Amino acid sequence: MDKKLLNKKVGIPRAISYYNNYPFYYGFFNHLGIEIVLSDKTTTKIINEGCKYVVSDTCLPVKVYAGHVVNLLDKGCDVIFVPSIQSTNYKINNCSKIRGLPEIIRNVINREFIMIEPTLDKTENIDLKDFCIETARVFGISDEKLIKEAMKAGWSIYNSFLEMTQSGIPYQEALANALNRNSAKKTIDIVKPLSVVIMAHGYNLFDERISMNIIKKLEKMDVKVYTSLNVPHEKAISSIHSLGEVQYWANELELTGTAAYYLLNNKVDGVIALSAFGCGPDSLMVDEISYHCKERSMPLIHLTIDEHTGEAGFVTRLEAFVDMLMRKKRSQLEKKSDKLEKQSAEILKIRNDKVLTGTSK
Amino acid sequence: MEKEPEQIKMENKVPAKERIIAWPRMGRIDIPLKALLLSLGAKVVIPPPNSNEALEIGVRNSIEGICLPYKLNLANYIMALDKGANTLMMFQAPGSCRLGNYTKMAQKTLKSMGYEFDMVIFDMYKSKMKQTLHAFWHVTHCINPWRYYKGFSLGFNKFFAIDTAERLLFYTRPRELNKGDAEKCYNKWLKITDETNSVLKAKRLKKQIIEDFKKIPIDKDKKVPIVYLIGEFFVLLDPYTNQNIEKELGEMGVEVQRQIMFGDWLEHVLKPSIFYHKESHRERSVKYAKKYMKRAIGGECIETIGDTVYAAKHGIDGIIHISPFSCMPEIVAQNILPKVSKEEDIPILSLVLDEQTGKAGYITRIEAFIDLIKRRRMKMTNKV
Ligand code: SF4
Ligand code: SF4
Repeated sequence: MDKKLLNKKVGIPRAISYYNNYPFYYGFFNHLGIEIVLSDKTTTKIINEGCKYVVSDTCLPVKVYAGHVVNLLDKGCDVIFVPSIQSTNYKINNCSKIRGLPEIIRNVINREFIMIEPTLDKTENIDLKDFCIETARVFGISDEKLIKEAMKAGWSIYNSFLEMTQSGIPYQEALANALNRNSAKKTIDIVKPLSVVIMAHGYNLFDERISMNIIKKLEKMDVKVYTSLNVPHEKAISSIHSLGEVQYWANELELTGTAAYYLLNNKVDGVIALSAFGCGPDSLMVDEISYHCKERSMPLIHLTIDEHTGEAGFVTRLEAFVDMLMRKKRSQLEKKSDKLEKQSAEILKIRNDKVLTGTSK
Repeated sequence: MEKEPEQIKMENKVPAKERIIAWPRMGRIDIPLKALLLSLGAKVVIPPPNSNEALEIGVRNSIEGICLPYKLNLANYIMALDKGANTLMMFQAPGSCRLGNYTKMAQKTLKSMGYEFDMVIFDMYKSKMKQTLHAFWHVTHCINPWRYYKGFSLGFNKFFAIDTAERLLFYTRPRELNKGDAEKCYNKWLKITDETNSVLKAKRLKKQIIEDFKKIPIDKDKKVPIVYLIGEFFVLLDPYTNQNIEKELGEMGVEVQRQIMFGDWLEHVLKPSIFYHKESHRERSVKYAKKYMKRAIGGECIETIGDTVYAAKHGIDGIIHISPFSCMPEIVAQNILPKVSKEEDIPILSLVLDEQTGKAGYITRIEAFIDLIKRRRMKMTNKV
């Protein structure tokens, strides 16, 4: 075994699958006695660093990923976890860039390090257990019982994280609590005049630098925000089916599943799609949802981001959208009250009629 | 355990006898497929070759972020429907990429435009001869085994004839003494291949083509640099999208070799593996790409890398890599290629094609690249 591995340390880039799977990774590695080194939160410097390594047509999240790998190397961490998540179900594939993360990293970063690159590919019958065994094997751990326990530990943290987010606790808070094995209670919901759902990949939405802190910005505008973390997986899938669609991409539930869920339960006033510029899967998913939005006259805005996106322009578009939602809601309310007035007038008339007929009897 | 391929969707509203079948243009797939379907007693419509007009129709009716091949496929469908088609065939391999999603989208778009048709999907992923036969039965309702035999023999032989003619064209064009001979010969044989209607004659085509190309006067001793053309399947096979790059290169005195040939690919996809003894292109690619890639990641990425290494090890002078804008597997390839180029010591030019690709700039880049290759070649021979 390589000397580097004897330290039992693993670097995890704070990007891509980190945002969905970190609670699991955390429980799993800890149980195996492997210390995790995380890269720093995304900064402009990390993005610029990443851009240096990959070709410019690559989407922002992958550039960011490369930046995080370099960040870990700069910190002196030279064992890095770069999983290849090919498919999460039979023929439910990820985007090629996510499938090929290890292939990209191996070939663009010209420095000495060990890459731990397990594969998850349910289409080829390589499931999570194989993924975990492959990971542990690199560290010389082959005790299947221990690995199974570590998986359990991973699941337990992951599930408590999901439980919290689904009850409405924000991402950061739920993550911190889950990792400390606490469970937080949901605070009372303050009713806000508007609510929206954001359809976006976790790695775009919960990376505050990439998303330009969109959630906080919206909350400041007094808008309630729903995200994929609030929707249980089964519900996301069944909502896609209710719209007459099928799941095609592995990371689709965060987008179409989430949007579909809120479209169907009428809980939101608008849909915000946030994606990286040039993202192939997103262009299809957003198109699919915008079709259903049109049918239901639900407003949708598609915000795309890359490394050059300026905050000012981004905020302007967001504000304009929120303003529009506000106006729409107001006019709806007015119409409703108009309608109510009309209705009550009609009821009165009917009553009067009845009275009349009554008397004529 | 292999699960049944899910949802091989085949619509069935049009009665089999009234079917008029169309499919997207991809290289010269129209010639053999037409022969096959006509043998099965079906009627077909061939959409016109891709052109600016087709592209414009495609762009107008699809969303911005979607890849170029989809836009052209959609245009092919629209043009075929306008010419009377009522059954659309689609080939897809959901294992790979966005392609799997295409059909759904095309179907929705076309229906919302008011067209009525049946969509029949040929799922090429792990579903081979049996499913293919079933799909052909579905569109034609032909039950005569002799006709299937005839159709498939005609189809396959035409594929091989076209592949052969293409390979010879690539070889002859940079060496011919009278400019245009090779292309004339190629076009002649395309036409003959298209018109051939008996299995016996179709089987003879390949040999005749070889004989005929031999008659073209060439400069045998001319030092011709050899370039591999690699990249995404569709742009490789569509001369409109790749701006006829093969011809341009041939006229610059370069021999082109394309690793993805339709006939080879189809044979591999369709033939049951017990009859297929050759090393498939995919297998060879996986083997050669190993140092750089440990897994296939969809699309033709691993072929791109494998072929580049293979080329370097077999004395090829350079690589031209073409892909449509925003093509995901090929973006991964673009990231890997610089390292392969350095370590295997082979020059590579990556070209990204989109609606706005201007011909002039494109040709200039190719010319500069060919100059580089020629100079490099001279240096190397001087050294020896
Ligand atoms: S899904 Fe989109 S954003 Fe994510 S890696 Fe693929 S192209 Fe990039
Ligand atoms: S391989 Fe490229 S061009 Fe083909 S469907 Fe995928 S992204 Fe589009």
